Amino acid sequence: MSGVEFMTEILLNHKSPPPVRRSDGLIEKFDKEKIVKSLLKETQLATILFGVPPIEEKIARKIAEEVEEDIKNMKLKFLSGPLIRELVSVKLLEHNLHIYRNVYTRVGMPLYDAYLIDQSEGYESRENANLQPNPETFHKKKADFLSKESYLLMMPLHIADAHLKGDIHIHDLEYWGTRPFCQDHDLRYFFYYGLMPDGTGTHTSVANPAKHPEVAILHAAKILGAAQTNFAGGQGFFNFTVFMAPYLRGLDDRRIHQLAQMFLYEMTQLYVARGGQPVFSSIQIEAGVPKVWQDAPVVYSGRILKDRYGDYEDEVHRFAIALLDEYIKGDAIGKMFNFPKPEVVQRVRYWNDRGFEDIMLRAAQLSAKFGSTYYDNVIPAYRGGEEGVSCFQCCAYSFSEDGKSEEFMKKIYFENGAHFSMGGMQVITINLPRIAYKSGGDEDRMYEILRETMEIAKEALILKYNLMVRQYERGLIPFASQRPKGAPPAVDIRSLVLTIGFVGMNEMMQHMTDYELHENSEAQKLALKVVIEMDRIKEDFIKETNLKFAIARTPAESCAQRFAVADIIHYPEFAKKYVKGDLEKALSLYGETKDLPIYYTNGPHVNVSAKIPIYERIRIEQRFFPILKGGNIFHVWLGESNPDPEAIMKLNRKLALESWIGYWSHTKDIIVCRACGFVGGGLYEQCPMCNSKEIKTYSRITGYYQDVQSWNAAKRQELKDRYRIKP
Amino acid sequence: MIAYIAEIIPISFSDYPKEPCCVIFFSGCNFDCGYCQNWKIKKQSEEHAIDIEKIKEIISKNNLITACKISGGEPLLQLEALLEIGNFVKSLGLKFGIDTNGSMPNALKKAISLLDLISIDIKAPLKMERYAKITGLSNPPLSSIIESLKIAIQSNAYLDVRIVVIPGFNDSIEDVKSIVKVLKELGYENRSSKSSFTLMEFVPENAHREEFRKLSNTSLKNLMDLASSIELSNVKIYHRAFPITL
Repeated sequence: MSGVEFMTEILLNHKSPPPVRRSDGLIEKFDKEKIVKSLLKETQLATILFGVPPIEEKIARKIAEEVEEDIKNMKLKFLSGPLIRELVSVKLLEHNLHIYRNVYTRVGMPLYDAYLIDQSEGYESRENANLQPNPETFHKKKADFLSKESYLLMMPLHIADAHLKGDIHIHDLEYWGTRPFCQDHDLRYFFYYGLMPDGTGTHTSVANPAKHPEVAILHAAKILGAAQTNFAGGQGFFNFTVFMAPYLRGLDDRRIHQLAQMFLYEMTQLYVARGGQPVFSSIQIEAGVPKVWQDAPVVYSGRILKDRYGDYEDEVHRFAIALLDEYIKGDAIGKMFNFPKPEVVQRVRYWNDRGFEDIMLRAAQLSAKFGSTYYDNVIPAYRGGEEGVSCFQCCAYSFSEDGKSEEFMKKIYFENGAHFSMGGMQVITINLPRIAYKSGGDEDRMYEILRETMEIAKEALILKYNLMVRQYERGLIPFASQRPKGAPPAVDIRSLVLTIGFVGMNEMMQHMTDYELHENSEAQKLALKVVIEMDRIKEDFIKETNLKFAIARTPAESCAQRFAVADIIHYPEFAKKYVKGDLEKALSLYGETKDLPIYYTNGPHVNVSAKIPIYERIRIEQRFFPILKGGNIFHVWLGESNPDPEAIMKLNRKLALESWIGYWSHTKDIIVCRACGFVGGGLYEQCPMCNSKEIKTYSRITGYYQDVQSWNAAKRQELKDRYRIKP
Repeated sequence: MIAYIAEIIPISFSDYPKEPCCVIFFSGCNFDCGYCQNWKIKKQSEEHAIDIEKIKEIISKNNLITACKISGGEPLLQLEALLEIGNFVKSLGLKFGIDTNGSMPNALKKAISLLDLISIDIKAPLKMERYAKITGLSNPPLSSIIESLKIAIQSNAYLDVRIVVIPGFNDSIEDVKSIVKVLKELGYENRSSKSSFTLMEFVPENAHREEFRKLSNTSLKNLMDLASSIELSNVKIYHRAFPITL
């Protein structure tokens, strides 16, 4: 019998409270002792989370009695467990016991919102453009909502408040207590120890190290898929073409192309990650074998060979060509592969040795056709030149080991399984315009507030670090902590980076100097000073804690919007002057939705609509790269549908050899017509070929390509506002 | 020196073969083409007047380009300004090119030694009534256009002959073949330097005259069919759906 039928039959009883419909599916008589017991038990969490002793029994009893009295007076026809819990929570607040209320309250969502989620509407239906509507997504949304709410209650009030008010943004909050952020894996580890997708070998089969090239490819795809279940963010492979190369010896180009194609299809069709999305993935494509890897021994099929990676230059080259060819070809209907993001490494040798021109040209052809190439430029000194190992991961965060560390050579030589594990623990973004507003325009005060805000971010990041180390040590992040055959753990959890990102340098400068970044050199100077100050504060944090802090531009997909909306609420007199996008429309929609078409400019970037030539934008934006070692990106917004690949290649050469830009991409807007099959460049309201409105538009949202219809209102507005190369 | 310049695109990847280039739009044109996308700059206005020194400064600051192209309008109408900019561009080691309708062979002759790229628009088969229909001129200067083609063909510059293929106006195989025939007679195939023959998509939005705005754009298939019927080397297609849809 269902609970609902049962409930409707329960009669009025004025003398004692009606029976209680419990959320675990039982119906019981009301018993105030149950409130006392649950209060005593659950407020122990106040001790664990906040160091506050649990509620005293005397007080708990008093609360329970008062609640019983209230219920009697309410003359209710029926009661439910959640209802009683809320009444107790209200009572706790009346008694000024808000910490106990925090740990005693329920988390969940209004029924109406839960209903909307199944219709692919409402809650965060556009927060993450990589999530497309499907049953898995709806389930994830509900879980996300509950997780986020609970984590905000579980963290110290001032941190939760800083997030809710929009001083800071805690990224991937739904995974706060369960998952670290991202990881660039070392393929050699799995080619030596084999594959255990669940990390323990109890639920999944255990595979020996790959012997055959097909198996190596499939293992590579499954590693990223399995790792995604443990991490909130992107998964990738650094040095992908180099570590794969030993498996490709003796194969003809046709087979190598087939393998490359297999990998791209695996990565874009494993539609299983976190609520039905493709794994957010990237691969680093080296055209040859980098200097540091030339003499490193090859790891192949569970063995360390006498061969050196330097012996496999030809296979690396051919695999890079094959991958790029397959990316250029696209899928069966001619659509781009948006994952794994191809990170084509830029080295002096690749530009000066004509033997690599075929790779550099293909990278440019892929940019010209789909815009999908990312250029990972390790040439500038701050990227470690040719001496280090580094990668740009998922949303353009950067991780590196500089070759000076003690362990570095051991990792290069895979001594006793020593390997690289580069990635991020957590990102927290700070709202720079807010800091400017609070400072009242006073520069010294601004630095003080900047430090205060970063201190809150630091505190939150340390909290996350401790949480993750605890989970990891208990085996609750099992793919990361796996130790097959006594190997060192797959992921060195303590080495993951604590990233402080920022949004809205441009708007901060507008408030401080009255000029946007592109308008005035004083604004540019002050912006650099702010970033240098952030870097200094970060160094203080490192000294103080011995943890890996980094500063980065945030690829703010939702938080550029959230900060703008928060400031319209809390600092309307300033925010109305500075937010970008369609303010009028935002104000008219305000109250109905928080998905408003306004935003702050990402990181230290110039206003996307600034009508300045690209060389001028490079001049301004490149200066931030050497300081933002935690990651940054330079966007070239292509407006033309048919850019000449060789012309793009020439620009790439200049950017690689003559600028400080460590990471860039060319963004081309792509439309796919559902009616006639047209795929072409440009932004359109309807298909330029058959006038159908059944079109899908793809563009780069912040650091990856996705269907524009799934973007939030602010990012869709930004897409309109972008000032393109050739509008 | 004052030039009439409507716009500068600081960097383009689709206006100069293989080179990232800046494009300078000279205003003023002696044609009145119905399909023109740049008709708003057909007339020179005082708003367009700018000191050439300013243009030189803009070009020299642009360290990303390897070429500069003058488009328009008809660039050869302002020959002095064109030569001044051309000499400056060449002194920076950049390549220099122009778009032209071919109506001013004498001016072209004077500029030819500076040019690395000549891009000539051929509007229709070289017959009076056909040309008149598209260019809006009652007496189109066909002999001048042929003269310009001759100069361009005999030069050392990269020559790109372009046709905007307009449905119902010049999109038949016979039309394109008749243009190719003229080119061949002028020695196009015997050139020592590089050439290309480009078939371009017509885009009705923003066309100059209503009559053209009502047309549909050229289909990719139309361009592909034309391209395969021409017996020339290096036939190119410029279409929004190309090379993605094939």
